Amino acid sequence: MQKDDFSNSYVVEGKLALPYTYFAGRLGSTFLTTLRDQARIMGVRCDKCGKVFLPPRQTCERCLEDIRDKWVALESTGVVVNFTVVRQQDKHLPRKTPYVLGMIKLDGADTPIVHIIEGVDPDKISEGMRVKAIFAPESEPSILLINHFEPAA
Amino acid sequence: MAEYYGVDVADIFNTMKSRFRPEGAEGVDAVFGYDIGEEGKWKLTVRQGEMTLDEGGDLSGCDVLVKVDGRTFVGLNIGKIDAMAALGAAKLKVEGDFNLFAATGKLFTKYVPPGQEVEQEQELVVLKRTISVNQRFATGPVMGTFLKGLKEKKILAIKCPVCGRLQSPPREVCAPCRVRNDEWVEIGPSGEMRMLEYCYYASPDPLTGETRETPYGAIGILLDGCRKDEVFWHLLRPDQLDAVQMGIVMGDKVVHGSRLRPVWSENRTGSINDIRYFEIDQ
Amino acid sequence: MGYKNKNRHVGIVGIGETKFSSHREDVNQPEMIHEAVRQALDDAGLGIDDIDCVVHGNMELFEMVHQPDMWHTLGTGAYGKSAFRLTTGGTTGGTLVSGADNLVASGMYDVVMAVGFQKLQEGHTTGGITNMADPLWARKLQSGALTAQAAVKVIAEFGEERARRAAMTYRIIMDKHACKNPNAHRAFHLEWDQIDDLMAHSPPLIGDLRLIHMCSQSDGACAIIFAEEKKARKISEKPVWVRDHITVHREETLNLANNYYPIDTTHRFAAEKLYERNGIDNPLEYFDVFEMYDPSAWWGLDWLRDFFLLEGDAHIRMVENREIMIDGKMPINPSGGVISTNPIGATAMIRVAEAAKQIRGDAGEHQVPGNVEHGLASSFGGTMWTVLTMLEKETNW
Repeated sequence: MQKDDFSNSYVVEGKLALPYTYFAGRLGSTFLTTLRDQARIMGVRCDKCGKVFLPPRQTCERCLEDIRDKWVALESTGVVVNFTVVRQQDKHLPRKTPYVLGMIKLDGADTPIVHIIEGVDPDKISEGMRVKAIFAPESEPSILLINHFEPAA
Repeated sequence: MAEYYGVDVADIFNTMKSRFRPEGAEGVDAVFGYDIGEEGKWKLTVRQGEMTLDEGGDLSGCDVLVKVDGRTFVGLNIGKIDAMAALGAAKLKVEGDFNLFAATGKLFTKYVPPGQEVEQEQELVVLKRTISVNQRFATGPVMGTFLKGLKEKKILAIKCPVCGRLQSPPREVCAPCRVRNDEWVEIGPSGEMRMLEYCYYASPDPLTGETRETPYGAIGILLDGCRKDEVFWHLLRPDQLDAVQMGIVMGDKVVHGSRLRPVWSENRTGSINDIRYFEIDQ
Repeated sequence: MGYKNKNRHVGIVGIGETKFSSHREDVNQPEMIHEAVRQALDDAGLGIDDIDCVVHGNMELFEMVHQPDMWHTLGTGAYGKSAFRLTTGGTTGGTLVSGADNLVASGMYDVVMAVGFQKLQEGHTTGGITNMADPLWARKLQSGALTAQAAVKVIAEFGEERARRAAMTYRIIMDKHACKNPNAHRAFHLEWDQIDDLMAHSPPLIGDLRLIHMCSQSDGACAIIFAEEKKARKISEKPVWVRDHITVHREETLNLANNYYPIDTTHRFAAEKLYERNGIDNPLEYFDVFEMYDPSAWWGLDWLRDFFLLEGDAHIRMVENREIMIDGKMPINPSGGVISTNPIGATAMIRVAEAAKQIRGDAGEHQVPGNVEHGLASSFGGTMWTVLTMLEKETNW
């Protein structure tokens, strides 16, 4: 079989740059402004299945109940239920590597959130570790209003 | 004067002074005319970070003249009506320098109707981002051969061994015949213009985010050696937009379009930019 | 063509549409989608447990979110269910309907919910469309979804004055319909005496395509629930039957050749095949309503000829004589169509939803007068894609 000739093949550099806008919506905005102005983390509870969701959502995706008004204040402490160590540096990452991304279940919540864990050697992190939120009220309104979590006593 | 949406047109003008933003007026030196139909006429002068407003009188000599009815004007100011929609429906007309009109949004803080100042709306969080990802596209041997041809000022087409159709830019296969194309043919470089897309609205270039100058012309050219639908897609020399004619084939009726030739770039890298544009060939 | 009759009948038993708008700062994507999902479930009288499978779709690059179906589980209710994602550009909504219909007809699932959405305010529509073009050539040239080719052709064939007047007449008819539809995004209350003014003064975009001719950029979602015949009759008092659908596309090239009618468009090809295999000799006589994916007034005007297999100026006369109005001989887009409302990934689905509402007889103020038994819906996308969907009141075909 004749081999293909690739002498005319080359690579063209390109870029995809497009602006977009994310709307948090009423529920997401309440969550973020409460986080910013009161340093308080709010979840929502589904009365039907009893689950407390964080981040909050308008609908319990399991029962499809409308839970937008069922706010519950959560503790800013919780437990690491899973984690990974990010070691490969990339311009899109929020921290210099190596750093720890953890799944943290706050006290009072049934669903974990993903966040950065600092103040602990990446090789010493473990499931079950108690952590607390460190707030950054000066940040733009995103989940980085919590700057990171760190080990709690 | 009539009220629209519970707002008096005059109140919007009367509050301009207190809503004026000198920082938004930086670099703006112009006279804005507002012709609000039966509601009256206003003349706004912005100079060196200050504004003056005159009611009534002659609006000739304004740098930009905004003609709009009272209802639409109030709607625009309180956010009930979208400016582009109003322009589209010809409810709002802008004469003169359109960019100046577009800048008026920055000159003032938002108008708040009387009595609604204290009504606290929930803060709705909006995050703006630009995703920017570097990409590397492999040309493959077919597109690569074509792009290499452009470097040598040659426009190449690939030919279907079954139906004889030419494709340029080329594709590896002829889709209707489901066969691999195998023969290269040089076409053009001159040809007949068929379709002209006379573009007044420019979209941003996704590679740079820059918006090109308008108007410009995207064209379909039937290069010499090509037939039927085998047109080549490129740009027209911008100053010849009004000097060209489209070719037509309608049944037996054939009208020939303008003859065009490519203008090549000095530095050719094997890209679409190797041809700057096509111009009238005479 | 490999076409086979369906295994079993499939009925539309629930319909949900959000209000369409360009200002939905109050909801995020799953919340907006959920509005349509909730409506469709309520309309069918079903709970989420009754749904076997969820089919989700939009057009990528407009919100710059990838795999949105995952995140949107919060709004679609797909948690723990079979789920698919379909995306075919402008035709996405029609493809969602085709996909859901096939899933039920095949016997794979008894009840399937299809959800189409778009939140164009969150991204850059024209930039997004341009980015879909071939990066080595067409990205530099493509002007988003804007083109004046239809205008060029209609003008060349029928003369400037007649063509422009017909296109603007079409536009005003669509606006009059949109004014009757509370969900429509843009309803300007245009008047007939504005035709000359609009022809002269609406800002030009490309050639003879003016801003007023072009569709809006909308946010919104549409959900439709499909069920197999036995369940459909149990769930709904008036299920609407998906009789047939056809998808036609051709290779990705823009035709800038300016070769004139008659040329074989995907619309005409699809229409011919669909009518032929369903034994429909005169589509104008047969259908009682047609919801057309008309992205601009020029396209809407021009495409009437393709969809109804017309010759000469018959399609122009239909518009000039206002036969396409809601109370005319062949009502087109009583909803106001795509020019008034275009949340792209939902748009083609809204055509099917609206045609189905007409057959049920509960479209509200924009209900076509008289008995509506046979509906047609079209989808359009890309460089010429067509999906046509046929809906019926009875299963007596």
